[in-house]
Amino acid sequence: MQAEETIAEACPASEANASIPGGTASGDVKHEWSEAALAACVAMLLSACGGGGSDREAEAKLSAGGVRFQPELLPRTPGERQLAMAARIPSATEFFDWAQRQFPALFSSQESDRTAAGGLVFRFFPGTGNYLAVLDGSVLVLGPLTQGQVVNVGTLQSFADAVGSGASSAKPSTDADAARFLLHAQFSASEAEIAAVKTKGYAAWLDEQLALPNSQSGWDWMVSKGYSAIDVNEYFFASGTYQFMVWFQLFQSPDAVRRRWAWALSEVFVVSWRGIKDLMNWDSFAMTEYWDMLCRNGLGTYRDLLEAVTLNPAMGCFSSTRGNLKEDSATGHLPDESYAREVMQLFSIGPYELNLDASLKRNANGQPIETYTADDVSNLARVFTGYNQDYSRPRFASPKSPNPMVNHIESVRGRMVFDGRNHSLLEKKFLGTAIPAGTLGPESLRMALDTLVNHPSTAPFLCRQFIQRMVTSNPTPAYVQRVAQVFNNNGSGVRGDLKAVLKAILLDDEALNATTLSSSTFGKLRSPVLRMAQWARTFKAKSVYGTWKMFLWDGNPAQDANQYPLNPSSIFSYYRPGYVPPGTAMATTGATAPEFQIVNESSVAGWANLLQGFVNKGVWVSAPNQPGFASNASDGHDIVPDYSAEKALVTTPQALVDRLNLLLCAGQLSAATVQLIVTALQADRMQANATDDLKQIHVARALMFVMCSAEYIAQR
Amino acid sequence: MHFINPQKHTRRAFLKRGTQLALAGTATPMALNLAALGEAAAMTATDYKALVCVFLYGGNDYANTVVRFDDAGHAQYTQLRSAGGNGALVIPKANLSATELKPTTALVNGVKYALAPEMTGMAKLFDQGRLAVQLNVGPLVVPLTRQQYTARVLAQPPKLFSHNDQQSVWQAQGAEGSSRGWGGNLGDLALTSNADSMFTCMSVAGNAVFLSGQNALQYQCGLSGAVAVEAVRGNSFGQFMYEPAMRTAFAQLIQQTHTHVLANEYNRVMQRSLTAETKVTSAMGGVSLSTPFPAGNILGAQLKTVAQLIGGRSSLGAKRQVFMVSLDGFDVHDGMAARQPALLTKLSEALTAFDAALQELGVSDKVTTFTASDFGRTLTVNSDGTDHGWGGHQFVMGGAVKGKAFYGAPPPLSVGNTSAPDDQWHVGQGRLLPSTSVDQYAATMAKWFGVNDTELYGVLPNLNNFGVRAGRPDYPADLGFMKA
Repeated sequence: MQAEETIAEACPASEANASIPGGTASGDVKHEWSEAALAACVAMLLSACGGGGSDREAEAKLSAGGVRFQPELLPRTPGERQLAMAARIPSATEFFDWAQRQFPALFSSQESDRTAAGGLVFRFFPGTGNYLAVLDGSVLVLGPLTQGQVVNVGTLQSFADAVGSGASSAKPSTDADAARFLLHAQFSASEAEIAAVKTKGYAAWLDEQLALPNSQSGWDWMVSKGYSAIDVNEYFFASGTYQFMVWFQLFQSPDAVRRRWAWALSEVFVVSWRGIKDLMNWDSFAMTEYWDMLCRNGLGTYRDLLEAVTLNPAMGCFSSTRGNLKEDSATGHLPDESYAREVMQLFSIGPYELNLDASLKRNANGQPIETYTADDVSNLARVFTGYNQDYSRPRFASPKSPNPMVNHIESVRGRMVFDGRNHSLLEKKFLGTAIPAGTLGPESLRMALDTLVNHPSTAPFLCRQFIQRMVTSNPTPAYVQRVAQVFNNNGSGVRGDLKAVLKAILLDDEALNATTLSSSTFGKLRSPVLRMAQWARTFKAKSVYGTWKMFLWDGNPAQDANQYPLNPSSIFSYYRPGYVPPGTAMATTGATAPEFQIVNESSVAGWANLLQGFVNKGVWVSAPNQPGFASNASDGHDIVPDYSAEKALVTTPQALVDRLNLLLCAGQLSAATVQLIVTALQADRMQANATDDLKQIHVARALMFVMCSAEYIAQR
Repeated sequence: MHFINPQKHTRRAFLKRGTQLALAGTATPMALNLAALGEAAAMTATDYKALVCVFLYGGNDYANTVVRFDDAGHAQYTQLRSAGGNGALVIPKANLSATELKPTTALVNGVKYALAPEMTGMAKLFDQGRLAVQLNVGPLVVPLTRQQYTARVLAQPPKLFSHNDQQSVWQAQGAEGSSRGWGGNLGDLALTSNADSMFTCMSVAGNAVFLSGQNALQYQCGLSGAVAVEAVRGNSFGQFMYEPAMRTAFAQLIQQTHTHVLANEYNRVMQRSLTAETKVTSAMGGVSLSTPFPAGNILGAQLKTVAQLIGGRSSLGAKRQVFMVSLDGFDVHDGMAARQPALLTKLSEALTAFDAALQELGVSDKVTTFTASDFGRTLTVNSDGTDHGWGGHQFVMGGAVKGKAFYGAPPPLSVGNTSAPDDQWHVGQGRLLPSTSVDQYAATMAKWFGVNDTELYGVLPNLNNFGVRAGRPDYPADLGFMKA
């Protein structure tokens, strides 16, 4: 009998090997359950092989609970225990999925999950005749494996970290799951990438991506396109050309994960073009350097990133660190406090003390506890004195009348320079740290940044936002805590390992499991920039003239989706991490949904119109044949998509929509929506011999449906 | 959008508010006499009134906007504002003559003010009696002296000097994260007066908490009017979706309900957008406005849209409306000498044009416009800019305003930290300690808007800490700048 053979093979009488009988001993799941299960097998080995009996009998047996087996399933070390406690309790379905992945010889050819009275949930595996069940949070096993006895092998909680950590070695079982992961991690999902993730597994694929070298810098691209030229175009004054570079990188950089992460960082560590364009020469290169800095440092340590952000020239201008002078008792001048306030409020510790799961700490009166006072701000402000752009290189006169003097382009690159004469040597007391009077600038900075990095609120404050940027707007506290723990210690004693943090976010069970996928509250709105980047990459958009002059601004309200890259209205970004849209279902539970802050009656229509404007023939560009802003006889569709694969499907609307559903939505369009779109497309009555133009616009219409569907815009 | 039955709205709203106040534990002297309230709506307006909030984002520097013009004052201003900088941020007295403000009743102690030189339009409005200046207004929870502020013995507004929080405090009496603004609270009360509740709170400025009420939600109108979804309407780009059946399906798709809350809420916004667009476009289309608005002035463009919306009010069935517009860029830590005048030019030209447009529409005394800002700024300068402050001077404009007058107390020009009386109205570096609270400022306008005394304390619960009720007649609930 099949089950008997399995047990006989699997349970050698005298062996106490550490692997599951017949199970897949994946090296990283040394779970004590294996030993317990083995002991159970050995204990019952020579008894007659009784099956589970009929389903009804099995149900009844399971519902009656089981003999408590008492294996010690909780991990041993306090650290592991803490990790285990933080792990989310898996659902019954997740547990069953995990068990059959781990022990396929014991649980094979599943049937679908069933429920019975009393809250019992169970899954039967006809291949082995075993049942797995969950009742009142405990896991029960019944079948040949347990000799017909119902055995209670422990609580779901006790399996939590095993099930959770198992995800990192997991592979998506469906194309949709693979696409879902890809769309969390980068901008788009292609058939080849879906296949690669399925083959390699989530973690291995991600590791490969994170190991890719940092691709061409924005600075080099800008130079190659002619924007460092010194001519009458005066690219060194209030030039929006940096935005071309950003779009090019979002659309084309091969290290897409790194760029997606840099984009996320740009929404947290904000510099906005409109805030510097009139205050810096070579503002476009200043913005470019800021972007490059995020790309260079985004996968390093937070400490390094924070220092790079602090000393970045564009940030210096934006937050008034540039040229910030020490106190002057004669005039009463005091250092500017902008960056000191912002670096605490926005870039590190946040305004209120947080627990590791980002919940507010409260004082004895139940009130939140402020992390910093106005005094802390004033003191910290002294640290950020003495810095300025590097003006050491010679200026030049603009070739255009009235020939104003212009700073050297290198003055916006790299780091601000320090001049001790302008640095405050007063004592600086903030956040419980005291930087002694007389401490020199670089040491003051080091101590100040270390203080911010090591503050206990920093990890949860930032990690909750990082999760919001990448995966879901209202993560569970447990998810935040798991990621924050990695921030605090990547496993090798390193704090602020951003690569590890990103991996923790993308590979977390909450990002990958089926429960959140079907949850009505999980996920985030795709922001307009991400929608456009997805379109460009999915359909291999190319700039005919290679100039990539894509530009979004607020000058055309009818096509305004309310988001302009690297140009939010303030340092508070396009939207606030704590935003709860009023009058919505989210408001009744206080669920944060930042991207809704740019959603209103104008911008939803603006998106539809914007999309309609480029989805057929591509983005219309003025003077695509030359750099800069101009208009000439070459005006036309320059950033054009490749819909050849889609055009081949115009006579099979179901196949077309299924394809778009997979690639753009990771299969998240409901069957009803798919049906609506398929039916709607049939109105075009497409024929195989239709003109290419007709096929193109038909595909464009299909894309309008998909990319204006709320099930696309809300990404899970 | 599920709007409460207007018939039941007022009573229920009051029940709710009463419960909230009880839970908050505030000792309100208010007697909730619900029987007396009955089913009578507090505001069933037959006439038209609108409030327009002009929010100056970033924190406008008051000292170079409403500038001390009397000799002694200007000299002191000059001295205090030259220190630490090169004097570029001092506006010479000679440049201020043309914009001197001459109130009907002169201020005591010979204090005089002038507007910044570029604000000629608003100086004229002041002279014509349609502009008033509210001096030194800012968020307060209770009246505060400088000593009380420093000693932290009394309740203070949360997160002072922080942009996003102070914007929220001005708009919603709470730090960032607050979900109800006083404009929205007014909107809740105004719903009963309007045939279509959707057009009660209208923004041309972007999402902000000011207009969020419990039931009233802001409707966002685009700068050129309501934005239509072209694929549905199909006019201006030609028929992108040629087949009517496809267009119908598309319209259906973008308004579908969904189980997923984010998807569903997104489509609810789209539903509102589509429903409102035809009405708004039609309403605005029926308005002919010949008053020119300044080119290249985004505030002007917003106010022009508001003027057109007000012009179309009968078509929208609106009797009581609250609008919001805004201007960015006031956070002049540096480059102030160039940046602030440019912004004040925009402000003055836009408000002047708006005033003219309202007169053209014959609603000058029915629309009251007011400015607000995160905060004023320091009096001291920081090489070429100023830092975050607290109290500041704001403007109220309209035919119903008792203009050509100052309200509130002129703050002493001081950056000193002694116990001298002149040093008591700032909290360091000349950051003004407000002598008038935002609640009083708002309440004065809310009263004009038609909110009765009882409901006023629902709209602005903090008002309980000011005025005669709180034993502080020196912080009156009605500042007196509105005509009856």
